[in-house]
Order: sequence, then C-alpha cells, then structure tokens
Amino acid sequence: MTPAISIRHLSKVFPVPFRRERVVAVEDLSLEVAPGQVYGLLGPNGSGKSTTMKMVLGLVPPTRGQVEVFGVDADRVESRVAVGFLPENPYFQKFLTGTETVAFFGRLAGVPKRDLRDRARELLRLVGLEEAADRRLSGYSKGMLQRIGLAQALVQEPRLLVLDEPTAGVDPAGSRDIKDLILKFKDRGITVLLCSHLLAQVQEICDRIGILHRGRLVCEGPLAELIEKRAQTELVLENAPAGLLAEIEAAVGRHEGARLLHRRHPQASLEEFFLTVTGDEKKP
Amino acid sequence: MSTAAPLPAHRLFSPARVGAIARNTLTELTRQKVFYLLLLFGLLLIGSSVLLVRFSFQDQFQMLKDISLGAMSIFGSLLAILATAAMLPRDIEERTLYTILAKPVPRVEYVLGKFLGIAGMLACALFLMGLLFLLILFVRERGVEAEMAASLSGDAAALAAQIETLRAQVFHPNLLAAGLTIFAKTCVLAALTLFVSTFATSQIFTVFIVTTAYFIGHFQATAREYWQAMGGAAWSKAFAGFVAILFPDLQIFNLVDEIAVGVAVPLALLGKTLVLGGFYVLIYLLAAQLVFAQKEL
Repeated sequence: MTPAISIRHLSKVFPVPFRRERVVAVEDLSLEVAPGQVYGLLGPNGSGKSTTMKMVLGLVPPTRGQVEVFGVDADRVESRVAVGFLPENPYFQKFLTGTETVAFFGRLAGVPKRDLRDRARELLRLVGLEEAADRRLSGYSKGMLQRIGLAQALVQEPRLLVLDEPTAGVDPAGSRDIKDLILKFKDRGITVLLCSHLLAQVQEICDRIGILHRGRLVCEGPLAELIEKRAQTELVLENAPAGLLAEIEAAVGRHEGARLLHRRHPQASLEEFFLTVTGDEKKP
Repeated sequence: MSTAAPLPAHRLFSPARVGAIARNTLTELTRQKVFYLLLLFGLLLIGSSVLLVRFSFQDQFQMLKDISLGAMSIFGSLLAILATAAMLPRDIEERTLYTILAKPVPRVEYVLGKFLGIAGMLACALFLMGLLFLLILFVRERGVEAEMAASLSGDAAALAAQIETLRAQVFHPNLLAAGLTIFAKTCVLAALTLFVSTFATSQIFTVFIVTTAYFIGHFQATAREYWQAMGGAAWSKAFAGFVAILFPDLQIFNLVDEIAVGVAVPLALLGKTLVLGGFYVLIYLLAAQLVFAQKEL
C-alpha cells in the first residue's frame, strides 16, 4: 500500500545571509507514515519539526532527499489535493465570518460552489462552532480560531491531516474536544501527522512517534513499544480486600528477583480532575 | 474512506481559485486604513472647488480638472504602492500564506489572485474619486449655468448655445480616457510593488525601491532623449537602455496632463498607452512569479 507520507534521506540546509555559515535544519531524515495512522512528530524547539512539516506541504524545497505524499512528490501541487493543514496559532482574516472562512478555503481546495455553504455548515457543526457560524472571526476566542482552523483543514475531505500544535492556547475542555476529533478522524481512516509539545496528549492519540533532535531522527517506532517498561508489570485491582493484597505481596516476596516497587491507589490525570471540577467531564 | 485510492483530479490552473483569492484580497484591502486616503482626496477636491470660485469659469474648470486628475493620479499611486507593499509580508507574518498554499493552489494563482484583488481595489478607489470629481464638476457647472442665465436672461438662443458649448467643454469624453490612463499607471505600480515585495526584506525597503522607481520612471524618457540628442557614448546609450528595461517609463501616462488642459487625445494613442501599461504589468507579474516560485516560506 502506498504510504501516506514517505520521507527518504531528507536534508534541509539554510544559508545564513552575509555569512559563510549554514544552518542544518534537517539531516538525513527517513520515515514513513502508513495510511490511517496517527503519527506524532516530536522534538524540542529548533529540532526541525516545522521545517519537515513545511517540506511535506511543499512550502520549502528539500536540499537533498525526497518527500512523497500518497506517492506524489511533495514539490508538486497535486500532492496537496488530499491534504488538510492546521498551522500553529492560525490567523485568518478577521472580517470574514466562520462560514465565509471555511467557504473561502473550500473554493481553494476545489469544492464545487453549490456545495460550499452546506459543507461549511457541516464542518462548523463538527467542530462545535455552529452557533458562531455567522459571527466575524474578530469576535472569536483563541480556541474558536483553532477550531475554525481545523474546519478549514477538513474542507476537502482530506486523507492526510497535518496538525501543528492543534491545542496550543486552547483550554482543557477545548483541548479534549480536539483530541476526540482527532480520534474520530482516525476512525474514519484519515492519516494524521501531529506536531506537538504536549507529550501527554501525543501519548493518548498517536500510534507511532518520531523524535527529532537537532535535525536528526533519534528515535522512531510504535509508541506502545517505545515507552513500554518490559521488566515491570502493572496490576490494577478493584475492591481488593487488605488480605488479598497482603497475599500478593507475600507471593511476590517468595520469588527470587521479583520485588514490589510501589503500592498505591491509581490517580486520575489532572485533565480528568479539572474537567470533573469544572463540569466538563464527558460521559464515557 | 479508502486511503489507497488515487488522489482526486487536480486542475493545473483554476480561474475559480484565482477569483477566490482576488475577492478575498479586495475585501481585505478595502478594510484597511490606507483606503482613508480617499477621504483626503475628497477634502482636497471640495476645498479647491471652493477656493477656485474667484476665477473665471474657464479657468475654474481648467484648474479643477488639473487638480482632480493630478490628485487621482497621486492618491491612486500611493494606494497602489502602500497597499501592495504590505500585502505579502503580512500574509507571511500572519501565516495566512501557509494556509492558502497548503491547499492545492499553485503559486502563480496566488500572485495573479493578489494582483487582481489589488487592481479591483484600485478600480473601486479611482471610480469613487472619479465620481466625486464629476459630482463637483457638475455642481460647479450648474452654478455657472445659473450665472449665464442671469446675465443672458433676454436671449434664450444665445444662452442655449453657450450652455451647450460649456457642457461640451466641461464633460468631454476624454475624462474617461484620463481615468483609464490613471488606472493603467496605478496597475503598473502595483505590479512593480508586488514584484519587489517578493524579494524585499521589509515593507519599508519595498516602498523605498518603488518610490525611487516612480521618480526615475517619470524622468527616464527625458534623460533618454537628452542622451540621444547629445549623441553620447555607447556606454551611456547602453545605460539608458538598461534603465528603460528596469524601470517603467511612467511618462507615457502623462496623457492625463494633456487631457486636463483640454487637448484631444486620439483613440490610437490611448490604446497604445494602455497596451504599454499592460505590457509592463505582464513583465512585472512574470518576474514576481519567477521569484515567488523559488521563495522558501
């Protein structure tokens, strides 16, 4: 099957104006993102994430190597036919309404004129902006702008979504909604390339991750395998009486080499706690 | 959704996409503060029409046309340079450019759409200025008619003849030719500004370069004639040729000055001016596309 993204020996070197120096932003990067996968591209600031993303979107040409999107060279405009992109802290023209913004990007993406309004309404409903559809973007909050960004990225029913810090500046409830949406996209078979600093979020939604450091891919693979502590086992018991716990501890003690590291009540994540307190906790 | 299916068809060039970018640009530009230059134009025109009352009516109309067409040319040029110079840096800074180009939009469509949006804004601005100019001209002309009627109250035939002559002088169709010429000039400046902004490092740099080109463009034909008359050396001729290619010859648009003083402009000359303007626009847009296509965003 053709990979959604195929990156082979990709390098990007930026010359420094008026100096002989050159900055290596990405060096010999190779990776593949399979269709339907949620891939997390991680790394500290300046690690080459944004440059890699721009090369995938054809905004920056590589110095060496090749990027293909569904088998089409990323330099070619056709490669972006099925790609939706949400930049970090997206900025849209403030004088347009939500519907007009989505319709504008729909026109650029080749959505037929007769379908634009319906498509825009449908997407605004999907991202929870139905009631703000006819309001100008100048009155939108940061979280709402992020959602409108997501709506425009989805306008041509993309098969690949490139999301740069999709929850930057969004409150926990909004952040959770966006996370749920990404999981919904995954269920619909949409491939997602996600760049984020929020590691907890990446851990919750990504199938596979790649970690960039100083332009080089230092680690890559299925998330579950990479973070698994193979030498340790976790048991979570419900309503276990004190006697049973004492028996388990004793049984562990009888086996040479095995030892109980800690015993505690599992904790909710701070996000879950916050959402419960503020009343935004979703029913499973 | 099948992810293994081939990508949907893509049109290499789409007028619909260009139109969407042009409309969006036009809406954006008309909401900018730079558009307030039109208010200045209005004030200048109304102020001058009040001050010109003391002159004879021939002089009044002559001066009013001179001031109005000159102001339309200057304010139109300012609008073209200032609004265009800010456009590309703003799109990059606010990252709207990324969102647009991340869609299947070839860069040539972006350049073309942006230019058409600016041209639309200039057409609107010049139309509004022209409308105000004609309105003031109309009001003044009616005032003069009333004065004529008062002085020639006994001779209806003479009055009718004089009014007819007056109207023919004041509302000459050449005014439309002047409007078109000014529009062509502002489009040339907008295309040049767009080209410079594709490689300029700042907005101020773009404005500086285009303003310099504006002044050189207004004097280069005179300098070229001077050099030719002097029978100068080969290097000076080569230099004049180089300048002529690099900077637009804005003196071709001085047709407006002739129209203002009442000289009849032949249709062929107007056509030639507009074609030359179109040629400059084409050259600068091609150059802008060549640079922008290679630009790393």
